[in-house]
Amino acid sequence: MSDITASGVQPAESVSVRSRFPVHVAVFLAPALAIYTLFSIYPLIDTIRLSFYTGDESGARHFAGLANFYTLLTDPAWSGHFWNALRNNLVFFAVHMVVQNAIGLGLAMLLSLPRLTGGSVYRTLLFLPTMLSVVIIGFIWQLMLNPLWGIAEKILSAVGLGSFFGPWLGQETTALITISLISVWQFVGIPMMLIYAALLNIPDDLLDAAIVDGAGPFSVFWFVRLPLILPTLGVVSILTFVANFNAFDLIYAIKGALAGPNFSTDILGTFFYRTFFGYQLQVGSPTMGATVATAMLIIILLGVLIYLFGVQRRLQRHTF
Amino acid sequence: MADVSLHGIAKSYGVTEILRDIDLTIDDGEFVVFVGPSGCGKSTLLRTIAGLENASAGELRIGGKRVNEMPPAERKIAMVFQSYALYPHMSVYKNMAFGLKFAKTNKADVDRRVRRAAEILKLSALLDRKPRELSGGQRQRVAIGRAIVREPSVFLFDEPLSNLDAALRVNTRLEIAKLHRELGATMIYVTHDQVEAMTLASKIVVMNQGRIEQVGAPLELYHNPRNLFVAGFIGSPRMNLIKGQVRSVSGGSVTLAFTGAETSVDVVPGTLRAGDEVTIGVRPEHMADAGANTIALEGRIDAVERLGEASYVYMKLASGDDVIVRSPGDVEAAPGGRYTAHLPGRALHVFNAAGQSVQFGK
Amino acid sequence: MRPNIRPGRIAVHIALVLYTILAIGPIALILINAFKTRRAIFSDPLGFPDARTFTTIGFDQVFTKSDFGLYFVNSLTVTVVSLGLIILIGAMAAWALTEYRFRGNTIIALYMAIGIMVPIRLGSVSILRMMVELNLVNTLTALVLVYVAQGLPLAILILGEFIQQIPRDLRDAARCDGVSEYRIFASIILPLITPAIATVAVFTMVPIWNDLWFPLILAPGDGKQTVTLGVQQFIGQYVTDWNAVLASLTLAIAPILVLYLLFSRYLVRGLTAGAVK
Ligand SMILES: Nc1ncnc2c1ncn2[C@@H]1O[C@H](COP(=O)(O)OP(=O)(O)O)[C@@H](O)[C@H]1O
Ligand SMILES: [Mg+2]
Repeated sequence: MSDITASGVQPAESVSVRSRFPVHVAVFLAPALAIYTLFSIYPLIDTIRLSFYTGDESGARHFAGLANFYTLLTDPAWSGHFWNALRNNLVFFAVHMVVQNAIGLGLAMLLSLPRLTGGSVYRTLLFLPTMLSVVIIGFIWQLMLNPLWGIAEKILSAVGLGSFFGPWLGQETTALITISLISVWQFVGIPMMLIYAALLNIPDDLLDAAIVDGAGPFSVFWFVRLPLILPTLGVVSILTFVANFNAFDLIYAIKGALAGPNFSTDILGTFFYRTFFGYQLQVGSPTMGATVATAMLIIILLGVLIYLFGVQRRLQRHTF
Repeated sequence: MADVSLHGIAKSYGVTEILRDIDLTIDDGEFVVFVGPSGCGKSTLLRTIAGLENASAGELRIGGKRVNEMPPAERKIAMVFQSYALYPHMSVYKNMAFGLKFAKTNKADVDRRVRRAAEILKLSALLDRKPRELSGGQRQRVAIGRAIVREPSVFLFDEPLSNLDAALRVNTRLEIAKLHRELGATMIYVTHDQVEAMTLASKIVVMNQGRIEQVGAPLELYHNPRNLFVAGFIGSPRMNLIKGQVRSVSGGSVTLAFTGAETSVDVVPGTLRAGDEVTIGVRPEHMADAGANTIALEGRIDAVERLGEASYVYMKLASGDDVIVRSPGDVEAAPGGRYTAHLPGRALHVFNAAGQSVQFGK
Repeated sequence: MRPNIRPGRIAVHIALVLYTILAIGPIALILINAFKTRRAIFSDPLGFPDARTFTTIGFDQVFTKSDFGLYFVNSLTVTVVSLGLIILIGAMAAWALTEYRFRGNTIIALYMAIGIMVPIRLGSVSILRMMVELNLVNTLTALVLVYVAQGLPLAILILGEFIQQIPRDLRDAARCDGVSEYRIFASIILPLITPAIATVAVFTMVPIWNDLWFPLILAPGDGKQTVTLGVQQFIGQYVTDWNAVLASLTLAIAPILVLYLLFSRYLVRGLTAGAVK
């Protein structure tokens, strides 16, 4: 009798009592924890550790404190490239924030119109570029903008803007903006979809109430819809930030590791790659590579923290 | 203040007709309730009056003026939504003041109106809260407050009580009735609950499948339903319906045969012929007492619901018809037992094969 | 009866159609020109291939000069194996973290969440060193390990939210019948999360298939290239051969295009459902 009660109680206990760490929980968690720790967290920590060391020709490593960071930020051989990459990266991000989010918001507004015919067809097609590899997109636009093929020029001429065309990817002044816009073109689907979902989430009654209250289309947008999707715009911004400050593929595909012309399209991702693997005569340096990676990590963490504590808290999420 | 009139209003989405040929006149200051089963087009009709939907045909007048082409904000209406539709990012105060912003009302006036509405609705202490910090009943009152501050000629309510619990529903119902008396404005109220309709309305509009079945004062509909649909819809528990046949006709009086009994009823002359199938309707409360002219109907008890002041006896007659009898609270009856219902000579409703009443002109 | 055509709506459709052309026009141009002769590519880039201009010479070049089929198999292997592991391992962890209350539960959940925001790419220096030591450079295993580590955090978050929606009664009923925790997971939870797989797939599969960085660093040679890297290397080598370049791009686009058009309904739904949270 007492046997039966004891075994009957046990399963409930193993679920609810917090003080024990049951075997089956360990079994369920172990594979994920092991792979994640070994191939994600450990490398990140090891990279940070490595950024405090220098290596010599023999391959031996010495602890060097903050010397690498000092070199990165002040040594003329490094700092020029670093600040240049950071500045370019900020431009890259700014173009995304302004153009990508504005177009994404606009498209989402159009797609969320009530009873829009063909809405799902538009959605599917507009999201298509986002699904393709950045590398492939890079090559596609390289061909599109290639003056040799001249297709972009031809199309621009057709709408009377032919004289406006230039070798945008090849000029120092326009290459970075052009590449940023190519990236915007590819990823505009993400803000579009997220904002679209947020807009759908706003109940129709609320918009009807605003109309009865006398709000015109612009006021409904400005006073009702926009405030209600601000949290989504926040999420979009931080996703864009992280993706932009760790971008690499597009510039590598279009411009190679040297991010030309004259480093005008160099961003932190390409700078990291060159530092780590070397280029032309410069040999790669794992420790300096780790230093650049750590700097990028700090920048991304700063962004995430600003978002979590400065932005997200202020953006009240609304349940309807 | 304004009256509302609808002439031949129709509404369709593509090929599906939602509303058909709606004619209705609502006098200034009336409390009109649209009632009908879910999906019959009540909300669509209300939204058409509000201007949130365009009528596909017909004319709509508010205060004598044609408003078909007018946007909602200019129609001097205010609407209370079933979901309340409060702006979640605005305080109670801002929710109420929002509509006035577009009416170019000056600040002092806005403040005065919001505070007065808040006072009427006992919301004064809650003006700085956000909707999510309010209870269901308070949200509901904010929604009403938002309508009040607009000082509309016509209030439109779309099932405003359906998200409240039973006790609060009764309370708010009384408050809305009081509000109507105090403001004296025209109110149009949509519900699928006939109890709400009966208790609130000065005039009920019964709707079914996009059409108006009958319009009238609550008791008029209760006592003189024009067709089977209204008879079945108004009254709870619903009217008993028993199949019968016309035995003989002599002028305005017909003899009906049903479940082994016979009775004579006055009808509009010429509406029935011998041999016609009819449906006889009797309210449950008219079947409990034996009297001089009643006919006893024996049957087996299926169930008994005891409410305290009354008991509903659900029984099956020998003919197979199911009837409900509203009996005294302490009646002796148990499922499986026998019970006798008493069909009165008067208070009988007779409907022809098409479901139309044969007792009233037109 | 009146059709719902208003001038405003027409303007909306014009705007959407124009942007749609901008979005898929370049992709369509690549696909069209891949089947045209070099002369036609330059003389009439906007035209469809006809009897006179049709050619598959570019594709012949790609298949003779590169191991495209092999790259494709590599990409497929890496993506499918990674996704399978992410779902299985991720579901196990998500189940443990949502179902059981134990000491350290919250800490572990937060620990796993770090990977959602911090890109694993930044650990590449150490990852490469580890792979060298483990002798895994130029193997698909290296890629799978990294992609699983990269995909797990988000998968655990999505699957956890999904598992929470499975009615408690289902598991409690099984427990009353004396079914073990492992059996409950394997025969009740796993079959029930299949609908969530579409959502997890959107967020993990596409980035894996499209990635250039890790193939470039961990498996750049030895016939272990993925499609993305293979095409990148191929184009780098044959820039001037327009037919070959267009054909290789087409080959890289086609499988994704077909899959996407087949499953876009689920992908889009997964994306918007994820956003509602
Ligand atoms: N936007 C719409 N498109 C097509 N049919 C609709 C639309 N809105 C409502 N309906 C249909 O109109 C009918 C009446 O709806 P409604 O007026 O909301 O009914 P009620 O409020 O009486 O429950 C329903 O059958 C509903 O399916
Ligand atoms: Mg309704």
